[in-house]
Amino acid sequence: MGQIEWAMWANEQALASGLILITGGIVATAGRFTQWYFGAYSIVAGVFVCLLEYPRGKRKKGSTMERWGQKYMTAVVKLFGPFTRNYYVRAVLHLLLSVPAGFLLATILGTACLAIASGIYLLILWDRR
Amino acid sequence: MGNWVVNHWFSVLFLVVWLGLNVFLFVDAFLKYEKADKYYYTRKILGSTLACARASALCLNFNSTLILLPVCRNLLSFLRGTCSFCSRTLRKQLDHNLTFHKLVAYMICLHTAIHIIAHLFNFDCYSRSRQATDGSLASILSSLSHDEKKGGSWLNPIQSRNTTVEYVTFTSIAGLTGVIMTIALILMVTSATEFIRRSYFEVFWYTHHLFIFYILGLGIHGIGGIVRGQTEESMNESHPRKCAESFEMWDDRDSHCRRPKFEGHPPESWKWILAPVILYICERILRFYRSQQKVVITKMNKRGFSMEVGQYIFVNCPSISLLEWHPFTLTSAPEEDFFSIHIRAAGDWTENLIRAFEQQYSPIPRIEVDGPFGTASEDVFQYEVAVLVGAGIGVTPFASILKSIWYKFQCADHNLKTKKIYFYWICRETGAFSWFNNLLTSLEQEMEELGKVGFLNYRLFLTGWDSNIVGHAALNFDKATDIVTGLKQKTSFGRPMWDNEFSTIATSHPKSVVGVFLCGPRTLAKSLRKCCHRYSSLDPRKVQFYFNKENF
Repeated sequence: MGQIEWAMWANEQALASGLILITGGIVATAGRFTQWYFGAYSIVAGVFVCLLEYPRGKRKKGSTMERWGQKYMTAVVKLFGPFTRNYYVRAVLHLLLSVPAGFLLATILGTACLAIASGIYLLILWDRR
Repeated sequence: MGNWVVNHWFSVLFLVVWLGLNVFLFVDAFLKYEKADKYYYTRKILGSTLACARASALCLNFNSTLILLPVCRNLLSFLRGTCSFCSRTLRKQLDHNLTFHKLVAYMICLHTAIHIIAHLFNFDCYSRSRQATDGSLASILSSLSHDEKKGGSWLNPIQSRNTTVEYVTFTSIAGLTGVIMTIALILMVTSATEFIRRSYFEVFWYTHHLFIFYILGLGIHGIGGIVRGQTEESMNESHPRKCAESFEMWDDRDSHCRRPKFEGHPPESWKWILAPVILYICERILRFYRSQQKVVITKMNKRGFSMEVGQYIFVNCPSISLLEWHPFTLTSAPEEDFFSIHIRAAGDWTENLIRAFEQQYSPIPRIEVDGPFGTASEDVFQYEVAVLVGAGIGVTPFASILKSIWYKFQCADHNLKTKKIYFYWICRETGAFSWFNNLLTSLEQEMEELGKVGFLNYRLFLTGWDSNIVGHAALNFDKATDIVTGLKQKTSFGRPMWDNEFSTIATSHPKSVVGVFLCGPRTLAKSLRKCCHRYSSLDPRKVQFYFNKENF
């Protein structure tokens, strides 16, 4: 367990969740499902999560492969300051963001995936104990 | 171009057939659900999204059948062995099993997305038609009772006005298994990205076993019979083409048409996945059985183990981790009476293994071995002149090849056409590869003893040099052995200039066929391939370079 940097997997999972939230949100909004405004929220939340998680953080050990074009995003993410660097804050942020999307069937998958990503980020803190 | 076609025609054909089948199944199922009278009334509520969902479901069944097959390693090895009469090109395709597994996985993800989106629309349509009070056909169909006493011939799975789609999703078997399967699929995909796989293998290995939930979920997904079509009996009695228009009069006693009755579509996914699941279970049992065979360590021996150059094995060490199996390329030659691997500390498992072996006072841990797997790199022995390029850890399979070539050469093996080898070793620093260094030193000595110094020509390129090292090398320029490696060949610094190398080889062997083999990064493959094209003569009788992208 010692050497696994869970943050890397949490990052992949959160990025995937962001995309799923966006897709679910588009389906709900375009189809004008009941309570489709949750779908609109889901699109915004999904875009935010994707932008936040796109820059891959530097690994503690070994070289890190950057994602294509991530240096532009990193400049924006850094503006949010300490909020984004701290994993605990990210875990709580993802958990809170995922809740509203849970009210709509089209976006509930995004909720589940983002909540799991949040759980993996929390695992880092548990691992550090 | 011709070279590419000769090497890849089978892969292209295979992929075209697979894609073609996917398209065919999708279109066929789509048309069936879009046109068939059995689903006439269902379509009245749902529209074309019914056909979309069913078409993608059929493709999901098809691809789920295929996904387990490429990972039955022992089955593939068996096929490779029994098809020895097949050409090597055909057998080499079996080495691309993981690429095919990934392609099928992407297709499953695509169809899962289509299936879920279509069903989201379906559920929304069902929900609206249940809420509707306008006496339309859709609302009458939705009111057909779920009561078993009246035959249970309902169409709309949403039973009452107050039932939400979320409730139906999480209380029906189809919905619940669907959610579980999709989450398992997403977790498997995110932990299987190349970055995670190469850096944190254990995360990938354990998470990927969620496929069990996927397969189980798929097996029982269709049990509830939520997809409803009109029964045969009901169609004979009141055919939709005749009766749909007069739906307001269905309850009239003197009407020819009765209320239609519906039945669920029986589950069929289990029929698709049964055979591959059984094959895979056999595969796991076989892996377990082979792992129980005794392995003698220091120089590894196992009864009935026979290997060829370029193959790899899976190793498990129960005292470190019961469930993890890690792949390693074999570094010994088939002519030796033992087999060996070289393990680099690159993560939790490997570090623990090295530490366990280094313990002075505890007994050597038991290890389990499964394999060998992979197509043998016999091609190397077919070329008169072989150019072998190993970059970094990519040098490992060449250990096996070089040793084997040397044994064959010593025994004057007639199958060995090779007369000259050019070996290029490119790495940042040699520290981790001192065992390979030792191999080259011993080969050097043996060649001198036999008086065949010209057989192996190797060059080492250190890409992680600094001015200290270079300065030191310059000072010791006229020493017989190299100060960095102790080998007779001097180390070069920086990357090789391939144009110079290729033109020298072309000039020295103007009439030969030269095989170029690489184990290294893709960018290097591109430059080598370019050089092969550039320096191959237009005249087929003169020097020809063939680039082999072997699957090491």
